[in-house]
Amino acid sequence: ITESGNCSLVLCMDVGFSMSNSPPGEEPPFDQAKKVIQKFVQRQVFSESKDEMALVLFGTDATKNPLDQDGQYQHITVRRQLMAPDFELLEEIENHVRPESQQTDWLDALVVSMDLLQKGKYDRLNIVLLTDLSTQVSSDNLDVIIGNLGKLGITLQFLALKWYGDGDRRGSSRPGVGKGLSREQKQGLEMVRDIMLSLDEDEGLDQVYTFSEAIEQLFMFKHIERRPMAWPCQLTIGSSLSIRIVGYKAVTDEKLKKMWITVDAQTSKRDDVKRETVYCLDDDNETEVQKDDTIQGFRYGSDIVPFSKVDQEQMKYKHDGKCFAVLGFTKHDSIHRHLFMGSQTIKMFAPKDDEHAGVALSALIQALDKLNMVAIVRYAYDRRCNPQVGAAFPCIKQTYECLVYVQLPFMEDLRQFSFPSLENKKFTPSESQLAAVDSLIDSMMLVEEDENGQKEDMYKVHEIPNPAFQRLFQCLHHRAVNPGTPLPTMEQWLKDALERPSAISERCQAPLEEMKRKFPLKAVEKKKELKTGAQIFEPDAKKSKVDEEEEEFNLAKISEGNVTSVGSVDPARDFRSLINQKSLPFGEVCQQLTHRIEQLLSNRSTHYYMKCITCIQTFREQSVKLGNADLYNSYLQSLKKSIPNSGLQVFWDLLVQGMISLFIGGSRFSPT
Amino acid sequence: MAEWNAFYQNEEADEEQEEGEESAVNYKVTGRDSLVFLVDASKEMFIKGEDGEPSNFDITMQCVRSVYTSKIISSHRDLVALVFYGTEKSKNPRNSFKHVYVYHDLDEPGAKRVQDVEALRGERGARLAADTMGSGEVSLGDALWCCSNLYSDIKLRLSHKRLMIFTCMDQPHGGDSTKDRQARTKAGDLKETGVVIDLMHLMKPGGFDVSLFFCDIVSPPEDESELGLQVEPCGKLDDLQKRVQAKQQKKRAMARLHTVIGMNVAVGVYANAVTARKPSAIRLYRETNEPVHSKTRTFHTQTGSLLLPSETRKVYGNRQIVMEKDEVDTIKKFYDPEIFLIGFKPMEKLKLHHHIRPSVLLYPEEQQVTGSSCVFAALLKKCTEKKVFAVCRYTPRRNYPPRFVALVPQREEVDESNVQVTPPGFNAIFLPFADDIRKLDTPQFPTASDVQVDKMKEIITKMRFKYRSDAFENPVIQQHYRNLEALALDMLAPESIEDFIMPKVEQIDRRLGPLVDEFKELVYPASYNPDSKPAAKRKTADAGGGDEKKPKVEIPEAELRAHIKNGTLGKLTVPVLKEACKQFGIRTTGTKKQELMDALIAQMAK
Repeated sequence: ITESGNCSLVLCMDVGFSMSNSPPGEEPPFDQAKKVIQKFVQRQVFSESKDEMALVLFGTDATKNPLDQDGQYQHITVRRQLMAPDFELLEEIENHVRPESQQTDWLDALVVSMDLLQKGKYDRLNIVLLTDLSTQVSSDNLDVIIGNLGKLGITLQFLALKWYGDGDRRGSSRPGVGKGLSREQKQGLEMVRDIMLSLDEDEGLDQVYTFSEAIEQLFMFKHIERRPMAWPCQLTIGSSLSIRIVGYKAVTDEKLKKMWITVDAQTSKRDDVKRETVYCLDDDNETEVQKDDTIQGFRYGSDIVPFSKVDQEQMKYKHDGKCFAVLGFTKHDSIHRHLFMGSQTIKMFAPKDDEHAGVALSALIQALDKLNMVAIVRYAYDRRCNPQVGAAFPCIKQTYECLVYVQLPFMEDLRQFSFPSLENKKFTPSESQLAAVDSLIDSMMLVEEDENGQKEDMYKVHEIPNPAFQRLFQCLHHRAVNPGTPLPTMEQWLKDALERPSAISERCQAPLEEMKRKFPLKAVEKKKELKTGAQIFEPDAKKSKVDEEEEEFNLAKISEGNVTSVGSVDPARDFRSLINQKSLPFGEVCQQLTHRIEQLLSNRSTHYYMKCITCIQTFREQSVKLGNADLYNSYLQSLKKSIPNSGLQVFWDLLVQGMISLFIGGSRFSPT
Repeated sequence: MAEWNAFYQNEEADEEQEEGEESAVNYKVTGRDSLVFLVDASKEMFIKGEDGEPSNFDITMQCVRSVYTSKIISSHRDLVALVFYGTEKSKNPRNSFKHVYVYHDLDEPGAKRVQDVEALRGERGARLAADTMGSGEVSLGDALWCCSNLYSDIKLRLSHKRLMIFTCMDQPHGGDSTKDRQARTKAGDLKETGVVIDLMHLMKPGGFDVSLFFCDIVSPPEDESELGLQVEPCGKLDDLQKRVQAKQQKKRAMARLHTVIGMNVAVGVYANAVTARKPSAIRLYRETNEPVHSKTRTFHTQTGSLLLPSETRKVYGNRQIVMEKDEVDTIKKFYDPEIFLIGFKPMEKLKLHHHIRPSVLLYPEEQQVTGSSCVFAALLKKCTEKKVFAVCRYTPRRNYPPRFVALVPQREEVDESNVQVTPPGFNAIFLPFADDIRKLDTPQFPTASDVQVDKMKEIITKMRFKYRSDAFENPVIQQHYRNLEALALDMLAPESIEDFIMPKVEQIDRRLGPLVDEFKELVYPASYNPDSKPAAKRKTADAGGGDEKKPKVEIPEAELRAHIKNGTLGKLTVPVLKEACKQFGIRTTGTKKQELMDALIAQMAK
């Protein structure tokens, strides 16, 4: 386990003459390569990676490199020395990496890159070479170069121009010797193969990608990622059997490292904005009290129990820290996949240098696998972390064995809902309906056997980069390089990657039509459509239902003349009642309502905001019902205008989220 | 879900937002849930079973107690009441009903109430019940009427109203048709006001015939089928608790969405399980112990004036990349809320270790789009038959980037007494993106021999048990509530908890006997001790207990000065530098090497 997982990397890009050549209608290799580099640097910069990075260009008109001597290593420019990638590097690539007119031996460029890496201080070294391999290469010193690459432990990745006939990136075909390649390219390809095979017998050409692959999948990025943190521990069974293990996070819900921070709009300075929390009593004056005059407490149902931090610390559940202890073994199928908890899976191996532990762990893994069982374990990361209960599954791969740990729920976590059975006469599908579903499924199978009986998966989600990150990086990059311009639209490749594969889309057309014919669906009109999934508005739907019920009760009250004005308790209900009563003119009722809204808004609290939103929704609904939208629209207009000055942006945002559309427009507006 | 907030989380994300995770329901908006336990207190309830099995009354009280405590933990804002009928004495708000004893009126459950119910348990509880309430005439109509008064006396808005009748008498009025009719009328009134009436019918000799009377009292099942009452009566506490638990939690959809397969099917999204956490602390005013609320203001450091949200902008990381707030939102927007079907894959393509967050359950929303349930049922059936799952793109709400999910069919399962144990629906398993998968260097070892594996098999077989997902309580949370309980009730010490996730080491050792040594002999050489730390062990992430272990690394002042003079301070390691800082009484907040060096240089220059 090496402590520093950091690495240094040289991006070595061909900008020479042939890179800007392309058949008409195709993107020149140069543009593609530049995009790859930008994507890559973008990612490193915005995740504030500490890995060092250098940029070497070859095929440049100028020459600037440490090996430039006696006419050797010409037309190679070290654009940037090894250092942490930053925003300037992005700008530099944007503005200074452009097609040039020379041709340079890519092996020379490789040597320059290796020379740079030797000066770096990290132990994981990488070179990424981007070229179309069109240049004449002298293979004189190939052996020496390969030897040095191996000696220094440099990982090499080739990103080359699309060089095989079919452009299907999800195809299994690795680049073979494609058609339409020039003699130089063929020769170059052979040489690449030699290098890769001699460096890594297992992977070989698997480390050669086309540009488009590099962009769309994260092969390149994944490869140089920081090594995950090791978690050494002992797996224990009872008091006297322990096996040394090391855990690594294998899958985890990855978050962005950096967050948005609030700055002053004028100065863009963070320090100009300060946030302060004050504590107030729940009295009419909201009397402020000092933080020191407050103590900590917890709710126990209706009781509030003062419970100081010190007492809490003293009385809380304590445990012995780091542990991976087997509680027992159980049948694999008694663990439900849908009850996996937490946000990660951990793979447990034996420590690298400990063969005995390896054998002992292997015995456990093999035995579990053969018996189709799993271990239920108590897992605690360390003393500060709460212990978990989880399952350790055996995982046997061709090249390794491990245990896979996943957290399981506690009793308190479970939501044991029951739902009405679907085995209900009303919902039972007919034979022809089932047949329609059957053919739909068949037409949409993403995994199919090819001619050789190999199963092929057309849509691997785990190879799609997280679109949220990609989009954010794209926009940040754009804003950084082109300040003041609007944000760009989503990149096409990303859009495509998130869509149904076109082959499937075509195939499922007919079965889908059949489905539509076979299954009549009817949206229930009456209910407010919940276009927004926003949680806070969920309950609103229920509330309106309750409101309707209450409305019925209120009819009695209304006849007694109970509601005479829009009160503050439930203004929306009062408003509706008053309109139903028709005892007051519409205009006046509206005025009363808007008055209440203003009053409520002045409280500046979310609770009241929600009330106001209900009021406005009711206002809108009643206006539509009565076919009189003017008052509503003009109120909303003035409200909107007042927002910036009244500090009610939060409210406005909630309102906008909560309503399908704000204003009553001509097209939507029909008196029915 | 809320992790996605992290995408755009800033300092404003305070505790409240954290709490507002998937489970959180805004009570201010929805109103409170309420639950009334209406318990038969007639003599029959107190009859103990054969072999000293607890009486029906006893198991009911245990069940009520567990609901009280679980409400306190999971939803303390809910209102709960406990009412007895068929009592000798009467106690209700206006004392207008005879033989109805309101033990607890509708309120949030607290420590006192838990104690009260606790007191009604067991032998002593039965005596206490006989003393305070006694058993007398039964009039369910009066009892229901009294309960409806409880509801109407509540000033709060109630969102979900449920009433559970616990009884072992299928003919409570012994055939008195006037009383039966009165009870039906009152039940009808209650149902009309939105109260859901459930029957928790308990074991009685000769069986419980629901059709005699109670079928007209209880609310029809959700699916309007004739089902529901075919459920067998409950004889065991476990069963009763399960039934009550399943009913008492109001299902709340986290989102309502349309699946887009080219046709709109409405589905609701429900959490299968949500990590229960210790609740966050509330601040109290020292003088009075009354809760205070906090207000957060944003103001300008220089001018001191309050800043409106419109006067601020968002900046990412440390770079000066500025965006408007709405731009930050648009970046996150990909699609409207939906579940978009990409295609199907065979079940074996779902990888076990591809797990990034707890799954959710999809169930059709017939009330939104009629016909949804039929499509859903057909898909469920076919996917199960063909052993496939659906791959979908899932956008739970607006301005949420998509995730992909595997929709795995789950058929309904019922237990031997016809109670649903697994609801029908599709479980949506969240799939990782490329970023979520880490590349590991996998060490290679010789695999174990058959003899070694067989020995381990023996060990495993000795330690088999039946796993149940509800078998493990969270000791951290349980301890926390025991502590609060003790403080609230002025107990001397908190009730001790059982740590269910602690291995029962002695038991295991006893069971395994010589197997452990036999296995060790097979895999470990005599000199090998897996418990000793390897020599080359490096510092690990476990920094918590690290302090005592670390050797002191002091450095003479002269040497330090020499380093500073020669500019070779950087050669020292961080622990050495930290120690040096301590030595000279420099308080450092930084942990970075440069910060430590700067602090030392500054100190020495003095």
